[in-house]
Amino acid sequence: MSDPLVELDNVVKRFGEFTAVQPMNLEIHKGEFLALMGSSGCGKTTTLRMLAGLEKPSEGEVRLAGRVMNDVSASDRDTPMVWQTLALFPFLNVRENVEFGLKMRGMAASERRAKALDWLDRLGIGEFAERDVALLSGGQRQRVALARALVTEPEILLLDEPLSALDAHLVIRMQGVLTKLQRELGITFVYVTHSQSEAFAMADRVVIMSNGVVEQVGAPRDIYRAPANRFVAEFVGRNNILTGKIKSSSQKEIKVETSAGNFTVPKGKGTTATTGDQLSFVIAADLVSLTGSKPKTENAVACEVISEEFVGSVVTLYLEAPDGTEFKAQVQQRDLDKVNAEAGKTLWVNWATKHAHVLPEARA
Amino acid sequence: MMNERAIRLFLRLYVGCIFVFVFAPIIASMIFSFNSDRFPTIPLGSFTWHWYETVYNDPDVWDALRTSVIVGVSTAILSTFIGFCTAYSDFRYNFRFKGAYLALALLPPTIPLVIMALAMLAWFSRIGVSGQVWSIVMAHTVMCSPFAMAIIRLRLQQMDSNLEAAAWNLGANQWRTMREIVLPFAKPGIISALCLTAAVSFDEFAVAWFVSGLNKTIPVVVLEIVTGNIDPQVNAIGTFVFITSMTLVIIAQIVIMTQEKKEKQPA
Amino acid sequence: MADKKHESTKPVKRSIDIYALTWRMPIIIWQFLFFVGPLIFMIAMSFFLVENYRMVEAFEMKNWVKMLGRNYFWDSYFYTLGLASAATVLATVLAFPASYALAFKMSETARRWAVFFLIIPFFTSYLVRTFSWYVILAESGVINAILSYVNLGPYTMLNTKFGTMVGYMTLTLPLVIILQTLSLSQIDRNLIGAAHNLGCGRIRTVFTVIVPLAKVGLIIGAVFCFILSFGDFVSPYYLGGSKPPTLPIMIIDTTKSGQQWPRAAVVAVMMMVTLFSVAFAAIALAYRKRSQ
Repeated sequence: MSDPLVELDNVVKRFGEFTAVQPMNLEIHKGEFLALMGSSGCGKTTTLRMLAGLEKPSEGEVRLAGRVMNDVSASDRDTPMVWQTLALFPFLNVRENVEFGLKMRGMAASERRAKALDWLDRLGIGEFAERDVALLSGGQRQRVALARALVTEPEILLLDEPLSALDAHLVIRMQGVLTKLQRELGITFVYVTHSQSEAFAMADRVVIMSNGVVEQVGAPRDIYRAPANRFVAEFVGRNNILTGKIKSSSQKEIKVETSAGNFTVPKGKGTTATTGDQLSFVIAADLVSLTGSKPKTENAVACEVISEEFVGSVVTLYLEAPDGTEFKAQVQQRDLDKVNAEAGKTLWVNWATKHAHVLPEARA
Repeated sequence: MMNERAIRLFLRLYVGCIFVFVFAPIIASMIFSFNSDRFPTIPLGSFTWHWYETVYNDPDVWDALRTSVIVGVSTAILSTFIGFCTAYSDFRYNFRFKGAYLALALLPPTIPLVIMALAMLAWFSRIGVSGQVWSIVMAHTVMCSPFAMAIIRLRLQQMDSNLEAAAWNLGANQWRTMREIVLPFAKPGIISALCLTAAVSFDEFAVAWFVSGLNKTIPVVVLEIVTGNIDPQVNAIGTFVFITSMTLVIIAQIVIMTQEKKEKQPA
Repeated sequence: MADKKHESTKPVKRSIDIYALTWRMPIIIWQFLFFVGPLIFMIAMSFFLVENYRMVEAFEMKNWVKMLGRNYFWDSYFYTLGLASAATVLATVLAFPASYALAFKMSETARRWAVFFLIIPFFTSYLVRTFSWYVILAESGVINAILSYVNLGPYTMLNTKFGTMVGYMTLTLPLVIILQTLSLSQIDRNLIGAAHNLGCGRIRTVFTVIVPLAKVGLIIGAVFCFILSFGDFVSPYYLGGSKPPTLPIMIIDTTKSGQQWPRAAVVAVMMMVTLFSVAFAAIALAYRKRSQ
């Protein structure tokens, strides 16, 4: 990849006693769609605001295209943002809103008008140019906010939970609009969200944060299949997390004894496995199989079906092992037809050894 | 248990009575201003413009009107400016002693007018600016700026807290943002504050009476006429005063109300 | 996100922030010059002397001894206190049914319009309205004229405490109703419904549920009524006949006729001490946690 467009170098942000962002190092590349994800209070928005110059780092450096930005005020940066509340100017019409950034840069009225109209057309809302922003629908307002931010043709666009106010069906549509736009323009998107589905659907890389700490950075698929730690595994959800003691280990495999039963997990290269140590591993819910009778594979637990949840053709089953351990299994509806999955029935939860992912030792 | 309907009816009548009590003096004054009798009572005499003509031909009233307008307009502008600054400071910033700051800003209306009048009179003579039109303006601005502050603060409350940041983010510095974003947003509040402070100043008689010297305002003239004896002229001036302040107060309220309605439009 | 914190943090450097000070300073400068200054000077003035009709800056207790040593002052003090207290009780009681009706028995729109119309008189020449009452209440005024048709009266209403109260109500009732209505309409209706469900009668609900819940608003309304009545000179003078004079009238007489500004200042300081004591006591009462 090319040189990083944005670099966060040991950046810390404190508000009085409270540390919002712990020392953070991150590189964001040109043309990348990066999502900052975490629950509220994790520091993702503070990070974004530091990029925009709305917060000044307490320590460390923020660099944009190699230039240290710490002391550059928000109005002197070219880091437009799409706000959670959209923050459209209510007393300006659609076109005037879009023109605002150009006007501040001193562009002539006719020129900025043409540019604004061009962007409104690109986003499919050209016909509303002279309308009051209050009269637009949620999705249309979203597009105005995008046009207003993009009209100055920046290298980077910051987005702060831009879709959180929209109805579910519009969110999916706007996700499409955003990814398409980002590909076409080839500019960097930094996207803050608490929604896993948004982050995983759109981003090239996802940064998972909690309590001001970066827990994992990676492609959505890597984060899902190979969570870096227990926090990420739990945060991502749809994971079965088991913890037990190491009974024995061979070259390739480790045998683990948990309260739900004994299981085999793959042994990563260079890892040590001391018998008696504690070990946690994860099996993604969609890699779990269900059978009505005891399977021949190594890793199987008989569980009672507790409840099921349908989303389209995918069913998530919640099951419980005799010791109380909960299991989640995500299966296709048609696969479920083969077994009796009524609540109270017993099913065997099983998975291939290679699908178990061992979590690194928990940090102290 | 009483009948719900009877209670409802009773309460409605009661509210009606209260409104009659509140508006009776205003309406009575308007009616009597056209009444020919020297002592205003019923049955009414005949219709007349006489009292208005008397007032119209009185040069003292014209002088007072001029003073009142100068004082009212200057007070409105000054107190709205100060009120805006204070409201914006409160909206935007947290700082030490903010509680004391707000107390200082909002306290004047709780001090009785006579006390303000005496304190201002003594102070202005001490610093050598007594008896001027500007003395009244300075005193009225103290009394009016809390009202302006309150109205504009309420308006700013409705502003998305990201709106200013959005403007900085698009390249506007703080001063430019004030001009392009905050002021236009606060405009209804500012107009409303201008009207209301003008109305307060236009009606204020105690402080004006003490500090005005020879520069009497309309309410001071009324006060002096009333102190003499019953003179239906007062009804004519009073009607004019009522209509002026009511217009200002109604504009003040309508500007805010229509803005709220407009912004509440469903998306 | 710690959003509250974001709002308050500034994007610019912490050093001297000219932009912030531009907005913060005007009120500070103005209030010190024309509000705090005059009030402090007035307190100082209460210790000045008057010699040969001219004020001499001094620090003597003479005015205080003279004013506070007179029965005349204390009669007026307690009379004013009594009138203002009576007005406060009267306004609170008269306003409550109207506020109750506006808050609970009328639509949102009706309430808005009622408040709209109550704001108007609050900002509309109180002086002329008082004069209008003078005409209405006079011996041969409107009310007595109407009563004479049914062979009643004439009643003397001017130059009585009744007249003073009419004036005080003209001054305070709209404001008290507005404040009461605003606090009543913030009460959660479910609590009232719950009280009814539990078999609490209508009147009992008012006193055991609504009044305690709206306590702060009711007390604030009463405090404003007290402040306005205590400081008003128009009603006790024109409608009450000024016998005996109330404290505000005493201030005017002392200032306007006798050139005795320092003595007027003593009265004014006494009034302010009284008002602040009453206001603080009332606010303490309003925010006191309920014992039990």
